[in-house]
Amino acid sequence: MIPSVRSLAATAVALLALPTLSSAENVKIGAAFSLTGNAAAYGAQQKAGVQLAIDEINKSGKLKGITLELVLEDDGTSKEQGIAVFQRFINRDKVSAIIGPTLSTTATAADPIAQQSKTPVVPVSNTAPKGITDIGDYVWRVSLTEGQVIPSALKVAQAKIGFKNAAILYGNDDAFTKGGFDVMKSSLEAAGIPIVDIQTFATKDRDFNAQLTALKAKNPDFLMVSALVEQAAAIVTQARQLGWNVPIMGGNGFNSPKLMANAGPAAEGVMVGTAWNKASTDPVNVAFIAAQKARGNDPDQFCAQAYTGVLVIADAIAQAGMKGGRDDIKAGFAKVKDLPTPLGKFSFLPSRDGSHPAAVQIVKNGKFEILQ
Amino acid sequence: MTSSSLQDLWLTYQSTVAFIGLNGLLALSVYTTLSCGQLSLAQAAFMAIGAYVSAILTFHSGAPFAVNLAVATLLPALVSVPLGLPVLRLKGVFLAIATIGFGEVVRIFFVNLDYTNGALGLTAVPQRTSIWMIYAALGTALFVLWRIRGSRAGYALEAIREDEPAARTMGIDAARYKLAMLALGAAFAGLAGALEAHYTYMVSPSTYSFTRVVDMLVYAVVGGTSVFYGPVVGAAFLTALPEVLREISARVGLAPGPLRLFVNGAVLLAVILFLPEGISSLPRRIRDRLRARREAHAA
Repeated sequence: MIPSVRSLAATAVALLALPTLSSAENVKIGAAFSLTGNAAAYGAQQKAGVQLAIDEINKSGKLKGITLELVLEDDGTSKEQGIAVFQRFINRDKVSAIIGPTLSTTATAADPIAQQSKTPVVPVSNTAPKGITDIGDYVWRVSLTEGQVIPSALKVAQAKIGFKNAAILYGNDDAFTKGGFDVMKSSLEAAGIPIVDIQTFATKDRDFNAQLTALKAKNPDFLMVSALVEQAAAIVTQARQLGWNVPIMGGNGFNSPKLMANAGPAAEGVMVGTAWNKASTDPVNVAFIAAQKARGNDPDQFCAQAYTGVLVIADAIAQAGMKGGRDDIKAGFAKVKDLPTPLGKFSFLPSRDGSHPAAVQIVKNGKFEILQ
Repeated sequence: MTSSSLQDLWLTYQSTVAFIGLNGLLALSVYTTLSCGQLSLAQAAFMAIGAYVSAILTFHSGAPFAVNLAVATLLPALVSVPLGLPVLRLKGVFLAIATIGFGEVVRIFFVNLDYTNGALGLTAVPQRTSIWMIYAALGTALFVLWRIRGSRAGYALEAIREDEPAARTMGIDAARYKLAMLALGAAFAGLAGALEAHYTYMVSPSTYSFTRVVDMLVYAVVGGTSVFYGPVVGAAFLTALPEVLREISARVGLAPGPLRLFVNGAVLLAVILFLPEGISSLPRRIRDRLRARREAHAA
């Protein structure tokens, strides 16, 4: 192959640029994920996501002269440690932006610290509809809220099944499942679908037969369930054991391969809204999955969102004219528009919440497939 | 070290310092009831009452923060009296179970209270707590316990702890003392709850679950309950340990992850095995060891 004049010129430019690289600017990005504790399963995927994104961006030289440096810390799935990590990032590591923390509850305690010291925060997995971006103008959320995913998932499911009414089952003592329920209820109401019954359970419950029998007696066409993944599998299994074959749609808690691992064949046909369409043939997405698999990781939604978080920060630096200061990045976020990411074309809404297409998955042969 | 890097160091670790104070106060609230031989596990519930009441007052009244804190201290103490009257007739594990029950009832009450957003809790609570307030509260609690020790009441409490029927025959009103200590412990927990709510910007029911009481109990046991300041030592040790290990692993270049948790557990186990009377017994043990060695030399 004969090297073209252009590629030779590019090589020359790159070689010329090399000496300046040593004096290049390092922009530190802090990532606070739950690597231990209850949410550790999510944290591992998030870590894989940000590491890949940082490596790729530094290698590509997209941020001329700027090298991103990752500072990763464990928030231990605790409020106390989340706050400590944020203060460490801001005052000791002097990061330009923070990705995380994993859980919304940690975010409500830690994000105000970043807001006070004017450090941009990018939540990549906080789905609580309220109380995250409300913290202040330095919080720019990549993850879609339940309020964004559930209504569109509901629309797709209804077009497919055409149910006339619905019932809801939810855990009422957990912030995450209660938040999911609020959205399910309001989206059903907004879609004009009557809710025939609502049943609740507690996080520690393992037997859902009483609630399921009561729901079955009302004979709804469709069942929405807001539960954490441990209960999700039990609920689905016990419903099928009762001989009840109602179509089930879960909240974000169902969004884990653990559902199929624990529920087995009972999980077949269960639907769940998702922020990431794994089956998307968009080249950015295909490349992302291939790169993750090459590193020995089977990526999930949390991985894709964390990866996107870094892409968004890098784009904000570029939009700010290759400047990596805290306020530069914050100003850059506002200009991020239709950024190609594994999640699809990404932009921010005026509320500083992320906006990109959502999808519906359905369990088929023990795997999530995209419901078209 | 320049003054700016000193300031950064302070800013980095200020929350750890704050949590040492808060957890110290919570450990003292468990110690207070332990000091008369009662194992009450309702402290998280008292903490929840203090936190919710103060946050609601902050949102819905213009009352100064000092008034909020006073209400958050007194209300749990008042609630503890009708709880204590029947429950303190129980002993040992039965008392523990009854107070766990009360703790769960309070938590589930807040989970189902729509006024405070149920399980979601209250967010965006304004930060009103300063670190000096936390330490003033902790100092006051320590002062109260120090004054009780060695007083007539202090001896009465010790007598009740060692042998309650014997203490009663001596004419000590055991029921009244036990109730007073339960109320005092509830007041400490309520104050800590209010201070924490206004430090971490939030109040949510999951913060006040059973595991939180276990944490408080572990602080007290690891620190040692034979002296009144022991629980504070334990709280300081256990709160600082994860952050110290974080600093060490960052310096030696270890990737963050489960290893830190493992070392944390190993250190805790070592303390329990080698210092069964708690960390606060360490100076005394060293003194005893030295004296034994001197005597061996003399002999």
